[in-house]
This record gives sequence, structure tokens and C-alpha cells, in this order.
Amino acid sequence: MTALPAKEQFDVIVVGAGPAGSAAALLSARAGLKVLLLERGEYPGAKNVSGAVFYGSAILNQLIPNWWEQAPVERYICRRDIAFMSPTTAVALDFRCAGSGYATAPYNGFSVLRPKFDRWLAAQAEAAGAFLLTSAVVDDVLWDDGRVVGVRVRREQGEIYGKVVIACDGVNSFLAKKAGLQREFHAHELSLGVKEVIGLDPAIIQDRFHLTGNEGIAFEYLGAITEDVHGGAFLYTNRDSLSLGVIGQVSSLVERRKRPYELLERFKAHPAVAPLVRGGKLREYSAHLIPESGWAMQPKLYTDGLLVAGDAAGFCLAAGLYLEGMNYAIQSGLAAAETAIAACRRGNFSARSLAVYRKHLKQRHVSTDFRAYRHAPSFVNGPRLQNLYPEMIARSMEQIFRVDGAPKRKILPLAYRMVRQSEIRPGQLLRDAYQVARAYLW
Amino acid sequence: MRIAVCLKYVPDPGTIEVDPLTGLIAADRLLYMLNPADESALELALRLRPPQGTVTVFNVGPVEADRLLQEALAAGADAAVRVWDSAISSTKPMITTILLAAALRAAELPDLVLCGGHSVDRGSGTVPALLAEHLGWPVVTEVTQFEMQPDELQSGRMRVQRRLARGARAESEVTLPAILGLETGLVHLRQASLPSLMRVKHTPIPLYGLEELGLSPQDLHFPAMTLHEVMPPRPRARVMFTPDCHRSAPERVAQILSAGVAGKAGQILDSGTPEQQADAIIDFLRQHGFLEKSP
Repeated sequence: MTALPAKEQFDVIVVGAGPAGSAAALLSARAGLKVLLLERGEYPGAKNVSGAVFYGSAILNQLIPNWWEQAPVERYICRRDIAFMSPTTAVALDFRCAGSGYATAPYNGFSVLRPKFDRWLAAQAEAAGAFLLTSAVVDDVLWDDGRVVGVRVRREQGEIYGKVVIACDGVNSFLAKKAGLQREFHAHELSLGVKEVIGLDPAIIQDRFHLTGNEGIAFEYLGAITEDVHGGAFLYTNRDSLSLGVIGQVSSLVERRKRPYELLERFKAHPAVAPLVRGGKLREYSAHLIPESGWAMQPKLYTDGLLVAGDAAGFCLAAGLYLEGMNYAIQSGLAAAETAIAACRRGNFSARSLAVYRKHLKQRHVSTDFRAYRHAPSFVNGPRLQNLYPEMIARSMEQIFRVDGAPKRKILPLAYRMVRQSEIRPGQLLRDAYQVARAYLW
Repeated sequence: MRIAVCLKYVPDPGTIEVDPLTGLIAADRLLYMLNPADESALELALRLRPPQGTVTVFNVGPVEADRLLQEALAAGADAAVRVWDSAISSTKPMITTILLAAALRAAELPDLVLCGGHSVDRGSGTVPALLAEHLGWPVVTEVTQFEMQPDELQSGRMRVQRRLARGARAESEVTLPAILGLETGLVHLRQASLPSLMRVKHTPIPLYGLEELGLSPQDLHFPAMTLHEVMPPRPRARVMFTPDCHRSAPERVAQILSAGVAGKAGQILDSGTPEQQADAIIDFLRQHGFLEKSP
């Protein structure tokens, strides 16, 4: 029996074995540090929910070469669709790429099932030497002389001490709040995603979505799909199932008194979606909060002895065109690990020493991306861009294609009438156009 | 006093999901856990353990069950033994008990063996009795309570309470060494402290194969009962009421609408022998679908 001393001291304690936590533990363990990875679920991934498409295959490829050959991935995403919806119409932008990087190694993204994928990633960290402990709920951070020196696990003699604590405990980060790095969130900063996994025969999936072999598609839907709730919807193909769900801003769900599962049922019944899910059998149902405000809800990222990464740090880019979280989670986890490794080498764990975290985040293009798109979330997740304009596009197409003996209208007068019918003032329209441009163009 | 506890590694019933596409249990979604009755047994063993006593836990199962034995060690068990061999093809109670008996002998026979009475997966409830047969020891099943005074420890006797039908209890005494089969849900296993949980994480669990136990694959060959098929219950086909086809259409419709009431005009059997009358009744019942028609 290998006995450890009573007051076990780790170099790094990582709280939460999601993508951020496991990546942080993996890199720190590889650097020879003594790493503890804590997970509250029965196994890593047991409590984790996302869409889930993992973009950023190339990032993980640097860490674990050809990782997709051993990991439980579903399909590589080489088709993406963005659809603008009205209650009866859908206008889609269809992207398909068979080129290198999308349909060949290292691929661009994979659909994954989180319970399997997270379990695998944590096992990689364990194989690298990290000490994984499951069914371990962290209740508090331990302080000594104004700096974080460990965490308290909800068990008898649950105090564990470490030189650096990396908090990867997800969107409603308990640790970041306990350490005074994060404020309470506002309801408009969070979205609620509800998701179903629907089982479908792989051959049917291939036929129905025009896919060959292990190709996969990711659909994103904007417009009337969530009625007057600000939000959107998604549908991704897995190997023998579909992941689909609806995302709605928490504040507007409350205001409009809408239940998320009603929106999900409406979405599945939409004429553009119903044929895609026809004949499928419900396998699982889940829900999760999404930190959609990005830059605006970012906590202070470090304090003496503590770093924050992943969703806990608000690293989820929900900006219309992009709906990415796991890649930033891994990147920020790696940046936190690099910071911890450097701090261990210097033997200095003060906030001043951990401040290089910012530099590492910049090098991994996390903070730069969030800074670049800092203007996007506030209005992309607003009513006009997520619901009204997409619906107007869908309705306009309906008008353009309609042949009913009435004189054909040219596009500009048609658009003018559309704007007149809606209650948008022209000034507002110009302002929105400017904001879209500011968010995406420069 | 040396106590042995037999632990079974069972699928968590909460994680059993039938894959809608194949109709089979989705094996990759199953999570395994310690059988609840065995959990009670372990906790009671730990409470009973006198200062110089030991609690050893035994399991027959694949390498994944090591986690469960490690958790038992974290909770306070003194030693753990896992029995497995590539030649073991089934964990039927008969085979499990042969292996357990051999393992108990190999690890020096204890004074008391505690088993959960029923597992949540197979639930045959036969393991304590079969184990007693192999060891030639007394067995008490459906145990709800047991206690041991210090003087009883000397004399090797133990008082045991058994559950009987309709809430009755039987108080009895058993001479050690003995085997007890415990009811489910008597007590909960204590929560292991964090340091002990971390200590056992990489503790290797001794593995006994057939060779170590002095058994050969032949010893496990028990063709006494073979499971051929599991079928869902199928209700017997019932004959539907059909109106008399000799009647006119309005009468038949009336018969159907009356839901059989109109047809109950009845017939009084006042002639013939009792046998003939009985046959007439049986014929009537067959005709109206209350009895199966003879093949």
C-alpha cells in the first residue's frame, strides 16, 4: 500500500474535469507537476452538457497527435448550415467543404457526446500522471494569509492543499465567486440550452443529410424558431443519433413566460426540421446554462494562488456566426497550466506571478478573440438580430419567389415595405447595420 | 474475530437504458455500483468488528470491480481479495459460490461471513445458502439484525433476528463459524474520508485465479440448469364476442350494441344427466369465449 502523508501537498489542484480542467491537468502532469483533478460527477463528463460540436481539433492535435483515432468522436463536421426562419419558411446558407483541414486530418471539428468525450480526455490526463478523484464536490477554497492554498472537498477531512488551484468548475463557477473574482450574473447574460439526443439509424442519417461515410453536418437556426424569446436553435449529426436543441436567453424566457421545452417541441415541429428528425427515437434530454456574454461577464482571471479557466471564466463565444466553447475551454485550460508550470518553476504563486496568465491567453488567441468580438454578444443575442431580421429575410424570400399574378416587386421596394411593416425605425436599422459591421468586419 | 464480507459489482438500475434502435440494454451507458444489500453487510461488519478483529472483502468479478473493493478499503475494510480468471465464463450463483468458498479457504477461513441476501441484478438470493453448502457451515437468511455480546464472542455464539412473513420476526441463535444473508437497506455505508479515499486510489487488489484457488475449469462446469431464452409474458388471446350470424342485420347490430346483455336470455337445463348438463355449460362458456376452445 502506498501511503501518502496526511497533509498531502499538490502542485496543482484542478477543479472540474471538463475540457478545460482535463487539458490543464494533462499539460501540468506532463511537465512533471503533481496534479490533482477533482470531479463532482461519478465519472468525468457525467454532469457535462453542450451541443456538442468540438471545433478546434487542431488544438488538441498538438497535445495528443491524431487524437481522433483513439477518442470517442462521432462525425467530423464538414458541412455547416445557417438557416433563417419564419414560422413556415427557412432560408439557408449551406457550406460544404471537402478540402484539407475539413474532411482530412486534422479536421476542423467533430460532433461528440460529452459523457464519452470528457471521460476519455480525463483518462488522458490520468495517463499523463494526474491524480483523478471523482464524486468529489468542492465546497470552498482554503485561504491562508490572503492567498488561496487549497480547496475543501465535501467529505471527512476534506481539506486538500495545493500551490495553485485552477478553477474549471463551469458556468456558475462557485470557486470564482468564493474567491471574490466573479460577481453575480444578470439573467440577460446567461442563456438556457435544452437539448435532446435522438437516435437514428446511421444509413438514414447519411441519406437524409446527404453525407458520405463519417461526414457530419452542423445546422444553426435563427429567427422565428424561439418566438419572441431571444435565442436560436441547433441540430448536429452524431454517428447514430442527432443532437438538437434550443437556446433561449434566461431573462427573456422569464419575461415572456415561455418554457424551454415548449420551444424545443415547436422547433422539432417546424416544417424545415420535422422531416430531419422524423422516425427518430428520443435517447436523452438535458439542459445547461451558457455564459453568452463573453467579454462582459469575464471575471478577474486570477488571484493569489488561483486561476480561472473555461466556462468559469466565461470563455464561450456565442456571437451569431460562432457558437464555440470547448475549443476556448481547452485553450484557456492549457494557458492556465502553462502559467502554473511557470509559477512552480519560479516558486512564486502570488497574483503578480500568475499575471502571465493574460499573456498566455493572448498567445493562445483566447483573449484576443473575445476582445475582437466583444461588441457582438450584446446585440447579436438581442431581439432584432437573433429573431427579427432572420425572420424578415425568410419572409422576403417568400415574397421574391411567389408568383401569384401580382406585379413583381424589385428587391429594394420589397425591403422597404418589409421595414415599414415591422416596427423598426430606419435609424435603428442603420445603427444595427453599423453594429454588425463593427462586430464582424473590422 | 475475523469477518468476511462478499461484495457484488452490479449495474446501477438507474443507468439501465434500452437503446430504442436495437431494443437491447445499452451496455456502454451502464454504471456499476456496490450491491445495496452488500453495502449494508459491509457497514454492519465494520460496526461489529472488535478491536483485534479484521474485515476482509471478497468479490468475484472483472478488473473493473477493483474500484469497488478500493472503496470498501477506504471505508475501513482491512483487506480485499478479488477472484477472477479468464476461464470464468459466467457468474451464476453456483459458480460464484464455488469460487468464493475456495477464496475464503485460501485466505484462511473466517469466523463469520456476511452476504447481501439479494443482488439488484440477478436477485436469486441463493448465494448465502450455496456458500454454506460448500463450506458445511450453518446459514441464516433474511437477517434484519444481529448482535454479539463480549461473552458470546468467547463462546462463539451469536443472536440473530430473521424476517418472517407479514412483519413477524424470529429471534434465533447461531454457532460460529456461520454465514448470514442480510436484508437490503438496513444501514448505509459510511462515507470514506478524503485522505483514505486518496490513499486507496492506486492500491493494488490481490487477484486469485483458478490456479491460486486450486481449482480447474472442470470444477466450474455445472450444466445443471441452462438458461435458453427469456421471453416477455404474452397474454392469452381472448375470443371476441360475435353476434349470431343467423339473425337479421338489425338484430345483430342490437346484439353488438347491447354489449352482450341482449344475448343473456338464458337457457334452463332441467333435463339430462348431470354430466350432460355440465357439458352443456362448458359448451356455452366456450362458445362465448370464456373458455378456450378445445384444440
